[in-house]
Amino acid sequence: MTLGVRRWETLADSVQGVNKRRNQDWYECRGTGSGEDPLVLAVADGHGSAVHARSELGARFAVDRFVSLAAHFGRAAHDCHEPGRLARLMTYARDDFPRALVHEWQQAALGHWDRNRPVVEEAAREPAPEDKLVLYGTTLIGAVLTPWLFVAWQLGDGDLAVVEHDGTLSRPLAPAEEDLGDETESLCGRAAWRSVRMHWAPVFEEARTPRLVVLSTDGLSKSFASADGYREFVAGLAGRLAEEGGPGVRKVLPEWLAQASRYSGDDTTLAAALRSAPEVPEPVEVTVDEESSAVAGDAAGAEERKTET
Amino acid sequence: MSGMLDGGTRLAAENGAEVEIVDFLGAGGQGEVYRVRTPDGERALKWYYPTCATGEQEGIVRELVARDFADDRFLWPEAYVPAHRGSFGYLMGLRPDRYKGLPALFRRQLRTSPRALLTACLYTVEAYQALHSRGIAYRDISWGNIFFDPATGDVLVCDNDNAVVEGDASGISGTMEFMAPELVRAEPGARPGTQSDLHSLAVLLFMFLMNHHPLKGKRELGIHCLDEAAERKLYGRSPLFVFDPADDSNAPDPMEHATVLATWSAAAGTLQELFRRSFTVGLHDPAARVRESEWRNALRAVLDSVVECASCGRQNMTDPGEMPPPRHCWGCGVVLVLPPRLTVTTPPPRTEHHIRLRRGARVQAHHLLPEPTRHDCSDAALVAELVEHPAKPGRFGFANRSQQTWTGTRSDGTVQKVAPGQTVPLRSGLELDLGDGVRAVVRAK
Repeated sequence: MTLGVRRWETLADSVQGVNKRRNQDWYECRGTGSGEDPLVLAVADGHGSAVHARSELGARFAVDRFVSLAAHFGRAAHDCHEPGRLARLMTYARDDFPRALVHEWQQAALGHWDRNRPVVEEAAREPAPEDKLVLYGTTLIGAVLTPWLFVAWQLGDGDLAVVEHDGTLSRPLAPAEEDLGDETESLCGRAAWRSVRMHWAPVFEEARTPRLVVLSTDGLSKSFASADGYREFVAGLAGRLAEEGGPGVRKVLPEWLAQASRYSGDDTTLAAALRSAPEVPEPVEVTVDEESSAVAGDAAGAEERKTET
Repeated sequence: MSGMLDGGTRLAAENGAEVEIVDFLGAGGQGEVYRVRTPDGERALKWYYPTCATGEQEGIVRELVARDFADDRFLWPEAYVPAHRGSFGYLMGLRPDRYKGLPALFRRQLRTSPRALLTACLYTVEAYQALHSRGIAYRDISWGNIFFDPATGDVLVCDNDNAVVEGDASGISGTMEFMAPELVRAEPGARPGTQSDLHSLAVLLFMFLMNHHPLKGKRELGIHCLDEAAERKLYGRSPLFVFDPADDSNAPDPMEHATVLATWSAAAGTLQELFRRSFTVGLHDPAARVRESEWRNALRAVLDSVVECASCGRQNMTDPGEMPPPRHCWGCGVVLVLPPRLTVTTPPPRTEHHIRLRRGARVQAHHLLPEPTRHDCSDAALVAELVEHPAKPGRFGFANRSQQTWTGTRSDGTVQKVAPGQTVPLRSGLELDLGDGVRAVVRAK
């Protein structure tokens, strides 16, 4: 049981893709968002093809290692008001955290490989470490939230959406150019830390904390014909959460994800954190962009689905 | 909009200009940067985090604004913007898009070349030298401050709000990775200044050229998340160069540090030697650190010695001078074939510059001076250029891009005038009088 004010309400779920033998996504939400117990969210999407035969484990290792490192980082940020500390934390988050994450994931994957060697002929040559890592290939998106800091990292596809304090919806880690087809950057890639993107957002007024943070694997965004469909989904999710709160949405979330998965054919995972409502409720209106208005209705019922192929 | 200030917020700068927030550009370690509208056009506004908006920082910003430092290599604080909701900031120029940060270089998101990187290093050294010659210590040299054009090597030094007059003891002393060891150790009497800047500069140059930190070898692998005590040991109490010739206990790990192993072996010996000095004796003896003038001369000489691999076309560093040790191309491994060399001799105090005559080799205005105060590798300062004969591929000549008429003397003693715009054929033994007492000789090796 956590004492004190509960800052965030979380919800998360994952559904298996219709044609998949197993769900290769993994996720985790842990912590309350306090200085001593930072809120950490993470989703990972194992690549799934034959060359990445152990990618569901790779996704799990990625989430587990991220949660541990990010929680440690969040706790280390408790003194971020001291002179020079924020600069230090930002440098660490940008430069060192990605290296540490990739290193830890590699150790976990190589350790697993050692304990679970495939049966091969005796004369067969030991694969190189990079070949072993390919078996575990996965993407990762993770975020850590404390009362003073919101930091997120992403490697590969998937989405981080943020509904800011004023209702603006942003995708701060969206690449300048979307990946083509199913190609994506991966934790098993060469010098993978180079491909990690970071979002850094210190918070100095509680009222300017983001309202909603949503992490999802690409099974969700791929179910829409365009990025606008995904943004409308997030706007709708924010609206439903504001109207009904977490319990109501948590009940219908599996069906929303299942519907998305039917369109994308992929495993679909979402982890979200909603800032607990202030005592005086604020009117909620999410600005998607200039052209499209807020969708506060059935988020999963977004019209712009792809046709199944 | 994320950040501390909302779009449309109006502020008043102390110089009287009205400032309107347009959009959020980014967040850093000390504050946020916004694009703002002012009566003089768009500017950048740096807005400090409340925890960094100290009276001391305000004093530094005001001092820098009053100093009115006009130098196109720096984005300098132009106007103080007084307190609003617990913080303050300053106006500066917007950074043009062509300038990119070092993190993008380390992530291999930029297309650049050894020549551009060497040029960027040369310009970086001169930029900090310009500050130091004015009695200003930068104190916070790090990869977050430098932006460069990956095509030309032009540099822009940003976040100049930690520079102070030499001897001023105030304030922070930089990021630990870039701090001189005596500052990390917090030795009594150790203060950020020009000597400590020289260490930070050497780290920055190493990271530019090697894409790795010079003290992060095997020992780094044992450090856990934000373990400050371990970092103080790595950077302060017992720093050890990853290529220390006497102690390999912090050597690069072949798997984790593959990049620095490759970039170091591709670096010219002249630069390796300066880095060795910086990160061996220079770690413990500030007076032994490599001075800006040494970096400048070495970088210029290596820049003039870059050649292209005849097999794969990649640019390679070679060592300056007559008989450099043989080298293999860093890309394809083939032994590099060195083209002829042009030796330019300046008027007294006579200095020789050796320029390898690769395709497109250039003589710049700074080659004509014994002690150039500022190098310029752009077309604006071009004096001569090696060009290929338009009708006879494989035959080269020097095109006169200067305003002076040269006198050329071949090895057989025949003399030829080379007017601006004209080209003289490249031959071993050719001597050129470039005017104002500057002579150049083509040598086969």
